[in-house]
Amino acid sequence: MELIGEVAAWFGDPTNWAGTPGIPNRMFEHVWLSGLAVLVGTAVALPLGLAIGHTGRGAFLAVTVANLGRALPSYSLLLIFFTFFGIGFATAFPALLALTIPPILTSTHIGVKEVDRDMVEAGRGMGMTEVQLLRRVELPMALPVIIAGIRTAAVQVVATATLAALVGGGGLGRFIVDGFALQRDDRLVGGAILVAALALATERLFTVLERRLISAGLRAVVATKPLSVGPFAKSGSPIAP
Amino acid sequence: MRNFRTATLGATMLALLLGACTSGGSGSSASTAASEPPASTAPSVESSAEASAGPSIASTLVLGGPPECPERPFCLVGLEKTYGLKFKEFTPLDAGGPLTVQALTGGQIQVGLLFTSDPAIAVNGFVLLQDDKQLQLADNLIPVVRKEVAVANPLVADTLNAVMAKLSQAELTELNKAVTIDLTPTADAAKAWLTKVAIPATGGGSGSLTVGSTNFYEQEILGEIFAQALEANGFTVERKFQLGNREIVFPALESGEIDILAEYAATALEFVNGGAGQASTDPAATSAAFVTALEPKGLVALEYAEATDQNGFVVTKATADQYGLVTIGDLAKPAS
Amino acid sequence: MNWAWISGNVGAIADAALDHVVLTVLAVGIGFAISLLFALLIHRDRRFYGPISGLTGVLYTIPSLALFGLLVPITGLSLVTAEIGLISYTLLILTRHIVAGFDGVPRDVDEAAAGMGYDSRRRLLRIDLPLAIPLIVAGLRVATVTTIGLVMVTALIGEGGLGQLMLRGFNFRNYTAVYVGAIVTVAIAVVADLALITAGRLATPWTRSR
Repeated sequence: MELIGEVAAWFGDPTNWAGTPGIPNRMFEHVWLSGLAVLVGTAVALPLGLAIGHTGRGAFLAVTVANLGRALPSYSLLLIFFTFFGIGFATAFPALLALTIPPILTSTHIGVKEVDRDMVEAGRGMGMTEVQLLRRVELPMALPVIIAGIRTAAVQVVATATLAALVGGGGLGRFIVDGFALQRDDRLVGGAILVAALALATERLFTVLERRLISAGLRAVVATKPLSVGPFAKSGSPIAP
Repeated sequence: MRNFRTATLGATMLALLLGACTSGGSGSSASTAASEPPASTAPSVESSAEASAGPSIASTLVLGGPPECPERPFCLVGLEKTYGLKFKEFTPLDAGGPLTVQALTGGQIQVGLLFTSDPAIAVNGFVLLQDDKQLQLADNLIPVVRKEVAVANPLVADTLNAVMAKLSQAELTELNKAVTIDLTPTADAAKAWLTKVAIPATGGGSGSLTVGSTNFYEQEILGEIFAQALEANGFTVERKFQLGNREIVFPALESGEIDILAEYAATALEFVNGGAGQASTDPAATSAAFVTALEPKGLVALEYAEATDQNGFVVTKATADQYGLVTIGDLAKPAS
Repeated sequence: MNWAWISGNVGAIADAALDHVVLTVLAVGIGFAISLLFALLIHRDRRFYGPISGLTGVLYTIPSLALFGLLVPITGLSLVTAEIGLISYTLLILTRHIVAGFDGVPRDVDEAAAGMGYDSRRRLLRIDLPLAIPLIVAGLRVATVTTIGLVMVTALIGEGGLGQLMLRGFNFRNYTAVYVGAIVTVAIAVVADLALITAGRLATPWTRSR
């Protein structure tokens, strides 16, 4: 109980809101690092996933490689990248990037693959080119699954970006790592609350994004189809933990 | 929502459970008490007068050290109060580990906190700044043993004390170099050293003991030396090295999971007492306080060695040459 | 890469790899047995779903440092402590996959079997379990590779297999050990994954015609 008061006092102390070690700057660093990782991860994995889903080639390889990536968790990757890139952002960024690619790649190619083949054939019959088919039929239809994949990646990255502090980087993990080193529970718990809040905000952001981006005609379909067991289960692919 | 729940649960459990493991009943007030440097009685006046002459060298440099540095008397607090230094910025890294070395060589920091017995200082051509105002606490190496074991078997203490009596500063650094730079297997390095210093094997020991260590290489090397010296005297020794950090090792000592551990008097004292600021620059007083603090845990500290592994502030050769730095005090001089 | 270190430490690397495999096999094996039990409970009575998925979910999110901090005073610095941690992390993945596998069995198939006089035990053994194999194998693949990665955290209590080799290398600034640990870890994961894929294909001959 005492701890709650200490944490509240920590949040209330104006010195914790100022300068480089302050909450706003650490939050900014965390968002910047995670956001960039998700953006670059999407830029890499989305086209690759679309290509795999559209052509049906390389799916087995993609799923297998994505699964094998789990053998080197983020902490191992940090150790490895550190020996090349040194402290801070340069090491944390590639480790987080590696975390984003499997869920986005998997969800994209599965999302595209699960699109009703009759619809694609209908589009083809209407004289659409392959690129048009991808852009106007498969992508919009697969979008709910793709966004779910990006959301999984984003929430994981926000939680894992905490580890950047272990290699001398910034971000909200600083409060947790420093609080631990100083045996200061107020800072430790305050940091954890901030990470949790940011994860919640990320989740909300994607809910809003989903509403904006998914075509109105699809929403009804999506609502009746739970993503966690729908397309993921059928194709026997890894269920994101 | 599942992802969010996972993240929230993870983060809160991490915080709460870590908190539960570490605090040991100490409120946040304990660490504020610790930030009062026990060594320096009054803030230095001359250095603040010097600082008014223009921006100091320190104010143009970035300091890197362990995350707890800004609130510890041996680190940023002491540098400010005792030496009157204000750095441009502080970058939280690790406790004298690979991050600090890398940040110095990579130029992300100019002044770093490393351990004085770290062979990386010599290998990378870093310059160890002299602690001319004696900021550093007495981190002499000291064996910690479970009381039960020490009482039942006086030969254990005798053996370890004989080892500590031979451990000089130069030899500690040499051992570290053999293992971390030349990549000599720990057991071979320990054996070679024990042969060299010729600790008399009295024999007469019996029973089995467990020597533990954290993942800090120096503690493991000393653990191996302890183990071999005890084996030479007839004990059966099990080794449990690489056990994370003090948060894992001390509970293991208390529960009898391990019996013996090589520690550093000042740092371990401040860990055990929750950062109460009892450690000083005097090794005798510090180890006496350590013995008292260990008492309720059923542990005892033996005799401390001459060798210490203190915190030392280092700069690269280039930085030292550029500003003509020899002592920590030199950092207070005007930059140009 | 320091080749001299590698050739001088082949034995130590092999020992670490063997430890790694043993830790993984024990964790996935025991975790699978427990998860199968959980999944059967859920299959029999849906009301178990909430509590079991809550329990496995919480276990999955307990950070290893905190878990080991709590366990060390009870079970010591032992293989048991390490395995409790690793097993608890496999339960969520495996239970979820096995349940999804059972759920994926078409209702008509079950009803047809019932119509042919299969009682619930035989339905489970002859119909539900075989049809769930592809998803169970998918779950085992994820759980096995994840565990191979997670073994590293048991380095905190002196286990850790190749993870310890990597962390020790990092702390001793012997980066060759970090690379060797990572490469051998990935190699073990590849072999384990291929073995599971092959086993899954052999166990479901009816899917091969596709």
